[in-house]
Amino acid sequence: MKIKITNGMYMALIINMVYAKSIGVTQGSIARDVGSDMWISTIIATVSAMLLILLTVMIIRRMPKADIFDQSKAMLGPWVGKLICLVIFIFFTLSFGPIMVTFVFHLKDFFLPEAPLFLFVFIAVLVGGFAIYFGIEVIARMALIGVFSILLLNGLLILGALEDFDVRELLPVFEFGITKPVIASRHHLADWSIVIMMCLIILPLVDNQKEWGRSSLVGVIFSFIFIVMWPILETGVLTSQVTSQYLIACMQMARSAHLGFFLHRYEMFMIAFFGISILTQIAIALLCGSVALSKLFGLKDFRPLIIPVSLIMGGYGYWVVQSHNHAMDILENSWVSLSLSITLGVVGVVWILGFFLKKKFKSEKG
Amino acid sequence: MSNVEQKMNQNLSRNIDTNVKVIQSLLKQNDDVVERTFYLPNQQGNKGTLFYVEGIVDTDKIERALKDLMYTSSANSNAVQTTSTESNLAMSIQTHMSHNSSVKVANTLQEGINGILLGDCFCIIDQSEQGLIFSGKGGEKRSVEEPMAEQVVRGPRDGFTEDIRTNTALVRRRIRDVHLKVEGLELGTKTKTTINVSYINGIVKESLVEEVKQRLNKIEIDGILESNYIEEMIRDAPYSPFSTVLNTERPDKVAAALLEGRVAIFVDNTPFVLVVPAHFWDFLQASDDYYLNFLTGTFIRWVRYIAFIISLTIPSIYVLLTSFHQEMIPTALALTIASGREVIPFPVLFEALVMEIIFELMREAGLRMPKPIGQAVSIVGSLIIGQAAVQAGIVSPFMVIIVALTGISSFSIPNFSASYSIRLIRFPLLIASGTLGLLGFIGMFFLLAIHAVSIRSFGESYLAPATPFKPKDQKDLLIRFPWWHMKNRPELAADNGIREANEKPAPPDKGNSETASNKISDEMNSDANTTSTANKKDASVQRKKSKRIKRKTVKLKDLMKDKNDEDQKSQDNE
Repeated sequence: MKIKITNGMYMALIINMVYAKSIGVTQGSIARDVGSDMWISTIIATVSAMLLILLTVMIIRRMPKADIFDQSKAMLGPWVGKLICLVIFIFFTLSFGPIMVTFVFHLKDFFLPEAPLFLFVFIAVLVGGFAIYFGIEVIARMALIGVFSILLLNGLLILGALEDFDVRELLPVFEFGITKPVIASRHHLADWSIVIMMCLIILPLVDNQKEWGRSSLVGVIFSFIFIVMWPILETGVLTSQVTSQYLIACMQMARSAHLGFFLHRYEMFMIAFFGISILTQIAIALLCGSVALSKLFGLKDFRPLIIPVSLIMGGYGYWVVQSHNHAMDILENSWVSLSLSITLGVVGVVWILGFFLKKKFKSEKG
Repeated sequence: MSNVEQKMNQNLSRNIDTNVKVIQSLLKQNDDVVERTFYLPNQQGNKGTLFYVEGIVDTDKIERALKDLMYTSSANSNAVQTTSTESNLAMSIQTHMSHNSSVKVANTLQEGINGILLGDCFCIIDQSEQGLIFSGKGGEKRSVEEPMAEQVVRGPRDGFTEDIRTNTALVRRRIRDVHLKVEGLELGTKTKTTINVSYINGIVKESLVEEVKQRLNKIEIDGILESNYIEEMIRDAPYSPFSTVLNTERPDKVAAALLEGRVAIFVDNTPFVLVVPAHFWDFLQASDDYYLNFLTGTFIRWVRYIAFIISLTIPSIYVLLTSFHQEMIPTALALTIASGREVIPFPVLFEALVMEIIFELMREAGLRMPKPIGQAVSIVGSLIIGQAAVQAGIVSPFMVIIVALTGISSFSIPNFSASYSIRLIRFPLLIASGTLGLLGFIGMFFLLAIHAVSIRSFGESYLAPATPFKPKDQKDLLIRFPWWHMKNRPELAADNGIREANEKPAPPDKGNSETASNKISDEMNSDANTTSTANKKDASVQRKKSKRIKRKTVKLKDLMKDKNDEDQKSQDNE
């Protein structure tokens, strides 16, 4: 029996996949570009992501039972199919860099500054590898819990930060003009690119095919609701200048939030509640990487590749987080350009070629 | 095939002496096996022999069976005489002589021997190739008592016993429905333990019943001494610390589970009945939740959820905060903890582990020792050792509070299997937190969470209905909704239709005379009106009467007066 996930789980996966990095690391990058207009860039990126995800749904609907690997193989032949597998594997390996930046620096900078770097990467890969061994269904179920955690975290943060919120910090709007926030949205769109690539692989496993488009859109909208609160609060409480000084701006935000005397710092709440989101990212990146590699080598099951993929991705992640400057350089430059190129390239090429090779889909379906 | 098996598998001989010898050879060296010879009151005077095991039979039943066989009325005896042939003598006795309600005919020695060992009485008769098995199960049994491990404040006080028939009867007493099924099978090549699989036809999913039976039939073991033998062999996750099969001593809990579309497995000689499938949340819910007001039920359920979180995480969080992340503790509290730890020579992790182990030790000792001594152990352990350890500077007062809080919280978890699971998984979490701080805690917690999410219980996700999220089943998860609101059965039931059709209760509407209470009040009002009308009528009649009397009296007085005046006038004239 082929494993299926419900549309609710699919939406939960979308939310968790984008949340962890977008609320802090990405907002810091955007703040460095457009100051207090970071929430506008977030909106622009989300709108772009909505279009991209609809395009993804359209692509997969052509052959609903086949993921992007099988579809490209059917459409363009085995060798091009393998090339797509390799490209997507590279994409997820690259995505492990920013994911590790989010995971490692949240913990290392704010809780365990003296702990060896290796330990963080090892535990991330261990937990992620353990999760993917049980398949997508288990990760999706965890993601459902993750949505409730996100709700709790957001609620707590609003309660703890509203006292210091100053709406005037959001002004002036479009301080750097209109073009700059659009360009700055690339940071957040890079976060969405991981979600888009994930959808290309897991969408055939989603139960209700008729609702794919709606579920995807609802997932993106809910993600936006959960995320956009952060740039607004970060600007209103921390100010955009302070936000831009930090690599992990959300932790700084959590540090300044407080509820009475005994809940004087939120860092632990932050880690506790956003933990599922970041671990979902880790697990999905490992899963998609393993699936891509298994298709590349023509294996029926991805599980034998969990350890090799974990070593490759873990190694790359370790290399990225070796120093803050190195991590920031990759995060804001090479990752953004590479991720967007690959995502737009794969989605665009497969979508356009699909119009010319309609007969192949029909013959595969038949 | 061994010699014993060969003997067991052979058919009964027509010669009673041969049969007796075989049975004697099979049951030799058994002081508790009783052999009783008798003669039938028919013309041939056939010899018969009864075999039974003393102690597991009801002697009265055996004596009644013997009486039937030896002193039955001549009419019945004649009937046996006329209807029986050599081949159906046993059957004829069964029909015409025996009063035993569940006597059955046995064709092989195997059936007879099994009957003897199960507590029945096996009877063989000369010139008959069939024997008779009289139901004689009895012996000493524990009476129905309040369950030891699952007590409730409000609710039934009866608990299961070691006798499977009593246990099934306790459930049948609660569900008097023709669809309640109790299927039987026997497990254990040596113990031949009776197992009953119970479910409600139409409510339970057929595939679930089939799966349960299939798993039970796969069991090959020499003995089943307790239901855990079965539990371990039918579990979905055999290596998991989480229990995926619910066990209970409470018949009401089993009845409730059956009504939700689950399957109960009764095992003879144990008061613990298994219920499948089981969700994680079932282990944190008590019968009280449903017997008290829904608000109270929800509140105590939340108390238990909080107790579960405290029991699992508090020692780990304390250790990670005091060892690695002191800045997260509010300053005043941090200073208090630090002053308490000033003289402690050990690291917090070591201190916590020692205290946890001592606590487990005390709990175990208190449980194993005879009751009066057990209580003394608990008191000595908690008061004297705890106090002395703090004064000696071995453990900090804060750690004592943490361990005590953890212990109390674990006691409030209603199912002891779940309580043991939590105790078990607390230790890796503690060690991970003590060695790697928050990173270790998160890592270990997520490993446990992923494991819990991945396991299933008879096809049902262990963490359902939380994840996968089942909106309809949320009415009995975090909040125990009122009964009038729980209209449907849980999703695991096959018949997921209406469970009850009651509406939310409300006081009677004054404008609406449809309701029964309104009718009653209307009737009462009309009665009152009738009464008052009658009273009014009576009063007016009385008034009229009195007026009439008054008028008559006045007339009479006037007449009297006139008469007196006339008399006076006549006297004056005279």
